[in-house]
Amino acid sequence: MTMRPSVRDAMLAAVPSLRAFAISLCGNVDRADDLVQETLLRAMANITSFQPGTNMSAWLFTILRNLFRSEYRKRRREVEDTDGSYAESLKSHPEQHSRVEFDEFRTALAKLPPDQREALILVGASGFSYEEAAAICDCAVGTIKSRVNRARTRLSELLSIDGSDDFGPDHTTRAILSAGGGRS
Amino acid sequence: MQTDAPIRRTAGRLSREDQRRLGDILQRVYDEVVHQGVPDRFKVLLDELNEPSENSQAQSSRPLESASDPESDRRLEGKGASAQGSKGQH
Repeated sequence: MTMRPSVRDAMLAAVPSLRAFAISLCGNVDRADDLVQETLLRAMANITSFQPGTNMSAWLFTILRNLFRSEYRKRRREVEDTDGSYAESLKSHPEQHSRVEFDEFRTALAKLPPDQREALILVGASGFSYEEAAAICDCAVGTIKSRVNRARTRLSELLSIDGSDDFGPDHTTRAILSAGGGRS
Repeated sequence: MQTDAPIRRTAGRLSREDQRRLGDILQRVYDEVVHQGVPDRFKVLLDELNEPSENSQAQSSRPLESASDPESDRRLEGKGASAQGSKGQH
């Protein structure tokens, strides 16, 4: 089994984003990296079914998602590990001041239904179009749009956007949500 | 300053500005991982796969237990399972 350098490079180039997607799916860096490795092995074994000129990244995302789904069904009980190793692996990040707000956002993200979370990540962070995300998730474009909208709404609820009295001291969250819009 | 400005929802819809804020955080959280780059294990893995003549033994002993999962192979036309199976025979 040989691989053209361009194919290898395209796979390598996709790894950082694959990892970010995998971590958002399973909430655990070690498992996410195993998932990425499994994805690359699967991709290599199926490289003949990849059509040159098409989107390598989208192809790999599709494989990774399918692998995760089959694994998810197998061990539903330990799906989410949102507080532990995810933050652990990122603790060396220089922007310590954003650590807490990032963690809080991740926790909210992990509470989304998987379908909504993956749709939001694919469209809102991975940079795929609605059409590409629909292909990756094997569903209709309208379904993706609906999931993204519901994910945004749910996130805003989880981050205690309204009725803040019910959530007590919540300065961090509000700081998060205003971080991008401090000026007006 | 809007440090305590809440995101307002009306009838389940977020304003454009609030969508932008949520999107901005999401992107930063995601990019934090992206900016970690490619861990060495993946470079090594792809290099090994790319040089079968030198690393065929190492490859054949690599566990591929998930290769026979019919569900995952469904959308890949099932070619992976047979290819990986034959590789592990010698």
